[in-house]
Amino acid sequence: MTGIKTSAPASMMKDETFRLLRDFIYEQSGIYFSDMKKPQLENRLLLRLKANNLSDFDKYYYMLKYDPQAGKELRCLFDSVTTNETSFFRSPPQIQAFQEKALPEIMARKQDNGEKSLRLWSAGCSTGDEPYTMAIILQEILRNKLCEWNVKIFASDISEKALRSAKTAVYNEYTLRSVPPDIKQKYFIKNGSQYTIKDEIRMLVELQYLNFNDSKRVRLMRGFDIIFCRNVLIYFDDTAKKRFVAQLYDNLNHGGYLFIGHSESLHNISRAFKLVHFPGALGYKKE
Amino acid sequence: MDNSVFETIKNIEELPTLPAVAIEVIGLSRRPDVSIKDVSECIYKDPPLAAKVLKMANSSFYRRGSGEVDTLHRAILLMGLNEIINITTSVSVLSILPPKGSEGESVRESFWNHCIATGLIAKRIDKELGMKSMGREFVGGLLHDIGKIILDEYFHDEFMEARAFSIDVDCPMFAAEMEVLGTTHMEVGHFLAQKWNLPGYIADINHHHHHPGEAQYKDITSLITISDLLAKAKEFSCGGDRMSFSLTDQEAWHILKQMGHPVLSLDLERITFEIENIGEEVRRYIATISEPGSQESAHDRD
Repeated sequence: MTGIKTSAPASMMKDETFRLLRDFIYEQSGIYFSDMKKPQLENRLLLRLKANNLSDFDKYYYMLKYDPQAGKELRCLFDSVTTNETSFFRSPPQIQAFQEKALPEIMARKQDNGEKSLRLWSAGCSTGDEPYTMAIILQEILRNKLCEWNVKIFASDISEKALRSAKTAVYNEYTLRSVPPDIKQKYFIKNGSQYTIKDEIRMLVELQYLNFNDSKRVRLMRGFDIIFCRNVLIYFDDTAKKRFVAQLYDNLNHGGYLFIGHSESLHNISRAFKLVHFPGALGYKKE
Repeated sequence: MDNSVFETIKNIEELPTLPAVAIEVIGLSRRPDVSIKDVSECIYKDPPLAAKVLKMANSSFYRRGSGEVDTLHRAILLMGLNEIINITTSVSVLSILPPKGSEGESVRESFWNHCIATGLIAKRIDKELGMKSMGREFVGGLLHDIGKIILDEYFHDEFMEARAFSIDVDCPMFAAEMEVLGTTHMEVGHFLAQKWNLPGYIADINHHHHHPGEAQYKDITSLITISDLLAKAKEFSCGGDRMSFSLTDQEAWHILKQMGHPVLSLDLERITFEIENIGEEVRRYIATISEPGSQESAHDRD
């Protein structure tokens, strides 16, 4: 040891700055970075540092906190800290449970009540693979009866970048790997190695920016029959999870279902739902 | 179809029978004054059976601590009489109804996969609930559906038809069996368990695992009902029964709750996720039971 104190390189995030940034992101979005995830946050924000031409993370923090233009940067930050890994027909047993069990059950009940409307929500829709999968399935189930139903699929995300991509709706072979060939041919337009979703599917989906921490706006999302909120809760700490899941419960109609990620659990998060075992998949029902 | 299938089964003369020694061991288990020596001497009368029991006792399913258990006497001391009787029962039933089916599109293999998975799940839940069923939960799970094997063996085409019906109509297997065969695997299994003189709880589980409220041994039957459902939810089934269910709605769940078992504390999601990896354990059990036991180790060294 020479006793000379060397300052950390610009690309290093001091523990204190990490805590400030972590708390700030948590306040703004509910997204929580545990101490273990410091390298991940550091890595992801490094690009924002460069984009803003800043020399260290402290300056970045002050910009977020006090700059009048911070709102715009905050959305870029959300783009950076969320993972947009998704694909069409992801976790097939869950999709099957949606298609063969939950949806027919809800539709039969609604038909009995003479109420031909369906409201679905893909909460954390990323690049749109999930809501378009839901739309394809509805199209497949209802076919020419679709026009008799008032169907709305809301798809929200905190990442504007992901939403832009969802709006463009152009996908590659890899994200379509689980799509059956006939479905691929029916609902996509192939252009070289790219696949564009057809308008008949696109028009069933309404994309919107939504920060789950914005409780006023989340509360407005009412009357849903089925909510997919897969691989979203992993971003939150238990407090935020509990708050958000309680909100999702309120967003659902009685008899509606919530589907979370394939290996995610609401044990210790909520006792309000009834756990339902579908073949190979779990669902949560609001009774 | 009327109940003639069941009547026919009751009159089939060449129905498989349990090895004489197994029947004797199960009989001994009913005697309050039975000794370790009685049981070990009895099992040694059938050396291949004794070898298999020792092999199972040494498998990863039962083995506790290090060092090989080389005599039945020692196995009983280590594991208790109940567990050795449980193993003898399982090994005997599997030896006469082996996992490799006779021919054609037999469901025998997937059948045993389902039954072993049910036993393993029952073992986990028994532990989490602190029910202390002492290994009976595994045997109960393993043997809860023996009626299906008999239906498959003697009325294969009709059983396959029932399976297809269950899938088409999305109804439970027992309802499809009733429709096509005029009997159920519960009725046949109960008959077989009684004919073989299997312990009362096994006959009871066979009879009532779809309606545990009618069972005499309500808690273990309910435990098997729940394990059976969970095994099916994870696709461990021999076809049919692709039902959706909520455990908290089940009669079995309410029975366990009423009997004071802490079902509300069960982490059902975690248990369900863990079941995804149970296939490997099932394969190991089948491999252990399918290989012949070592004859040398079966000689009486007591």
